[in-house]
Amino acid sequence: MDAGNRRKNSSIKKFITLLLTTIFWIGLTQSGAADELITYRLKWLFNTSVVGDLFADSHHLFTQEGLTVTIKEGGPERDAIRELELGRAQFGVASADQVIRALSKGAEVVVIAQFFQVNPLQWMYRPDKIKINRLADLKGQVLGVTFGGNDETILRSLLAKAGLTEADVKLFSVRYDYTPFIQKIVNFWPVYRNTQAVFLGEKLRGSGDVFAFFNPADYGVRFVANSLVTSKEMIESRPQMVHKFTAALLRGWQAAMDPVNANQAIETLRRYDKDSSVETLQQELAITRSLVQPDAAIPIGFIDTASWKQTEQIMVTQGLVSTPVHVEKVLREIPQQ
Amino acid sequence: MLLHRRIYQFLIIYAIGLTCLLLIKYGLNLSDYVIPGPVDIWHTGTEEFERYFFDVLNTLAVAVVGQVISIFIALLVGIAGRQATWFGSFIKVAAYNVQAYPIVAIAPIIFILLGDGLLTRLLIAAMICYFPVLLSVIGIMAEPVVDIEHFYRVTGRMRWQLEVKIRAFENLNKLTTVIVGSATLAMAGTIVAEFIAANAGIGYSIRVALYQSNLAKILVALFLIGITLSVYQGLLELTGYLVKKSWAGR
Repeated sequence: MDAGNRRKNSSIKKFITLLLTTIFWIGLTQSGAADELITYRLKWLFNTSVVGDLFADSHHLFTQEGLTVTIKEGGPERDAIRELELGRAQFGVASADQVIRALSKGAEVVVIAQFFQVNPLQWMYRPDKIKINRLADLKGQVLGVTFGGNDETILRSLLAKAGLTEADVKLFSVRYDYTPFIQKIVNFWPVYRNTQAVFLGEKLRGSGDVFAFFNPADYGVRFVANSLVTSKEMIESRPQMVHKFTAALLRGWQAAMDPVNANQAIETLRRYDKDSSVETLQQELAITRSLVQPDAAIPIGFIDTASWKQTEQIMVTQGLVSTPVHVEKVLREIPQQ
Repeated sequence: MLLHRRIYQFLIIYAIGLTCLLLIKYGLNLSDYVIPGPVDIWHTGTEEFERYFFDVLNTLAVAVVGQVISIFIALLVGIAGRQATWFGSFIKVAAYNVQAYPIVAIAPIIFILLGDGLLTRLLIAAMICYFPVLLSVIGIMAEPVVDIEHFYRVTGRMRWQLEVKIRAFENLNKLTTVIVGSATLAMAGTIVAEFIAANAGIGYSIRVALYQSNLAKILVALFLIGITLSVYQGLLELTGYLVKKSWAGR
């Protein structure tokens, strides 16, 4: 019986020793690791709209700050704000409407940089079919719109501004397929100016079509696009890390937007987007530059509070959020060094 | 009785699912943006019920037509493919190959050819639904009911129509189960089609809700889809039971 107890005690001792050794080893290896592991969830797939993010990663700007960052593609079914709350990501990209909706539902999200000063979501149209000199010219036209999407909110706001109702126009439901626009069934089509519009433009030019762009900002609707977000908890508990990440990311954007680094930026994009030609990417990059930093006096990442307030106001007016969320309270631009 | 059971079984499943979601929500202290609270779901339900109810009916109507088409095609193909001839084998290979392509890859082509209207929804619903029906029909029709068929064969009275009737009657329970099961696939197929390429139906509404990051709307839509499908499946089971009773009574 004693021998049995001794064997049992010996086994327990061995187990505890093994456990302590394992814990010690994990602690040792973790404390020895200089880099912090971060997941960064984008809003959409890898394309020119995220060139700065990709540039920062591929040029080791995060590593220089002691951060190990995994950039994950987004998509229609992905939502960075949900992932922040679930702890699956520490940073993400979200559109202003996502941020405002999330705030209205009690999510604790903070905006730390705004990537696009001009919303790339615009409309491509055929000036030989539709003459647009003022908003009222939209009356009687067939207008492409993604129901439920940002463009629907923007378009409804434009119509309201023009004193038009839905009965004054014909709204055409837009999908990923451009056939109705190419076949001229619809001559006013929502596009991302710096990506979709480039290859669609090439196609139209090939068939001798004339096209122009309708930018809602020209008519006073400044709906904010993609921004860098994190959780309130993250910015309060780990401000240094947030600072390091934002600084590295914005350095990536500044470098990618600098015409001097255009070739490097294209090279970076080519690693992720093998289908687009260099010429297409060059065009996309040039347009992205004009949307990210339209004015050299405005730093990249600048948060345009007035536009955020207007975005919220539009959403409240259209009943997309029931009450004001005072979005300006969560706009916390990280000062750049 | 069957109908009643289908409905309360669905309600139990939905309640369990919802409870699990709410347990996760409160367990992890998640906001209403990630998982909506009961009040939010209730409000959304009362606001959207009418619109979503008619959307689901719209979807169901397309699903029923799609299912009828797919059953009809599956029966034709199954009957033609039941014989161990070259043509029978060719039909089977063609049917299997068509099914090998994922619907999400084919859907955009259908969308370009047929637009985003009723035909696209119908075709995609039928395509998703028909294969399991076909497999069962081929399985049933290729299996002789030796005891009965032997008599007709030796007396020289066997015709292909009689062969099909014998095999269908002897396997009516299996056929009913397959048809009831295929209703789910027809509904799922229609919803997928609406999600990808339509301007109507509950799949389209779910897509819009997804754009708006509104999980409460999606939960309401799921409830209505489930309850409607349960009623429809219950009715199909009842029909199968009545058909069998009527055939047996002759």
